[in-house]
Amino acid sequence: MPYITRAGKGGVPRFRHHKQEVYHKIAAFGKAALRTAFLLGIGFVMLYPVLFILSGAFKAKQDVYDPTVIWFPKHYSLEAMGLALDTLKFGKSVGRTLAILVPSVLLQMVSTLMAGYGFARFRFRERGILFALLIFTIIVPVQNLIVPLYANFQSFDMLGAGYLFGAVTGEGLPNLLDTNLPFYLMAAFGMGIRSGLYIFIMRQFFRNMPAELEEAALIDGCGSVKTFTRVMLPNVVPALVTVLVFSIVWYWNDYYQASMFLMSDQTLSVNLTMLNGMLSITAQNVAGLTSQDLMLMRDAVLECGCLVTLLPLLVMYLFLQRFFTESIERTGIVG
Amino acid sequence: MKTEKRKRPGFRLSFTARRAVAGRLFLLPWMIGALYFFVLPFIQGVVYTVNKVSFTPQGVQFTFVGFKNYLSAFTDLDFTKNLTSSLTNMIPQVVIIVFFSLFVAIILRGKFRGRALARAIFFLPVIISSGVVITVLKENVMSGVGMGMKEASFLFEAPSFEDTLSNLGLPQKVLEIFTSIVNQLFDLMWKSGVQILLLLAAVNNIPQSSYEVADMEGATEWEKFWKITFPMVSPTLLVAVIYSIIDSFTDYGNSVMRMVSEKMSQGYYEYSSTLAFIYFGCVLLIIGLVGLILSRRVFYASE
Repeated sequence: MPYITRAGKGGVPRFRHHKQEVYHKIAAFGKAALRTAFLLGIGFVMLYPVLFILSGAFKAKQDVYDPTVIWFPKHYSLEAMGLALDTLKFGKSVGRTLAILVPSVLLQMVSTLMAGYGFARFRFRERGILFALLIFTIIVPVQNLIVPLYANFQSFDMLGAGYLFGAVTGEGLPNLLDTNLPFYLMAAFGMGIRSGLYIFIMRQFFRNMPAELEEAALIDGCGSVKTFTRVMLPNVVPALVTVLVFSIVWYWNDYYQASMFLMSDQTLSVNLTMLNGMLSITAQNVAGLTSQDLMLMRDAVLECGCLVTLLPLLVMYLFLQRFFTESIERTGIVG
Repeated sequence: MKTEKRKRPGFRLSFTARRAVAGRLFLLPWMIGALYFFVLPFIQGVVYTVNKVSFTPQGVQFTFVGFKNYLSAFTDLDFTKNLTSSLTNMIPQVVIIVFFSLFVAIILRGKFRGRALARAIFFLPVIISSGVVITVLKENVMSGVGMGMKEASFLFEAPSFEDTLSNLGLPQKVLEIFTSIVNQLFDLMWKSGVQILLLLAAVNNIPQSSYEVADMEGATEWEKFWKITFPMVSPTLLVAVIYSIIDSFTDYGNSVMRMVSEKMSQGYYEYSSTLAFIYFGCVLLIIGLVGLILSRRVFYASE
């Protein structure tokens, strides 16, 4: 027998038998229990690497072969952390990472906002083909472009600026490798790390805004630029936050471009990939550290390296997560 | 402004023309960037594949060699093996990721206690797995073998599961496929962060009234899923599928991409470029096929 309605809310009377009432209570409880069990299980999988790192990073040497130590070490030590920070050249590499990240992220925000607005709100003949090009830039991986990019940055020219520089200094085309300029330039001209995706997100967001907003501004005498900065920008904050967090995360985690364009002082991510190899070299300078000790501590050192690389992002995420997960749902990537 | 307009009426553009100019100006930085940092390197990259490239102090030197690079790529056993394995692995991976994400999105839908915490945890993988941390962790720490020594390494492995199946007397080949999927399962959950968010937003956008109507008509949960939820999220499913394909082939741990960077660091620039372009061609073909097949079945509510 089909029951009439489930919802007792909204003034609709419940035409249900007592038995069905009980049945529905049990079903609802079962559903909630199943969901909780499932979420706990997957939540554990998602948290596992973080827990694993936290458990291992401060484990002292004597606990490594102790079978009774599973998650919580009996002895704690900061020795591995010291070795990891030394090998990563932590202060220096964080400085380099931030020197690349901060200007690049800001430039990327500006350029992707402008391009997203341009794609969303203006009509002109080449727009279709340019949009196809945008999609293509999202699909083509940076690995396909990296060798020519490397060669181009080695003897750099853009709109004749390189030739002008060469003529003024008399040194030929400038070499931008091992400087931060390749990152800044690519971010400023809308080709930074995953810029294509951000432009797409911004475009979707601008497109979903009511046209009346813009029309009103235009009728009141705002030009296109003023409409953009005064009317559209304040409304685009949710999309901006989403893109900002993504952008910070991806620049911080970037390994590929940094390993290509930089040579001397590397970023944190690149140094982390070399941590395992470089460890024995730093260890030689530490007095009283035998190779046996090093072998025991190797895992802990690697975990410390992972921890210090993750920690800034995790802290940022903890502060921004509520704002972020809500806003990504409102950015309209979905529609 | 008004007096100026009257002075030179001949130079005044129409409203649409002015808007078009403004639009092009907004896109100008991006256009310049796309030209210098995308179109140009892309063409150069194609040129590299038919040349022998050497970097000299005077600049880049080219010697034309025809299709020699392609020929050696297709006769390179390492490459063909990596290529076929990464392409064939991609398909079940993408299917699992998308269905898993849909499943989780449906579970996380609606309001329940601890929802904010659950969402925070489910998005954690996006932050961690986009970096090198996860690879370092998996390959150096958890597997206990040096980087690149093992063909594949996983966050979790299921040795006892494999033993159980082999005791059942299943053939080796079936066993391998089965255990590789089970071992991958946890890794794949880790790759579903963005897809879960996309689908969660889509699921939450389905109007509640359509479910109420279905309830009135006496539809079961199963029918409601296939007749309402699935069609309504199908456009997002398409986006999630394509995102997963792109994500899996630009991944840091991808065997072909790793080979590309390896060859480049050894100085075989043209060869590494060739490998990257062959791989890209294959993936583009897959995306095109998938898009073609799926876009016909996608349901758009607004049409």
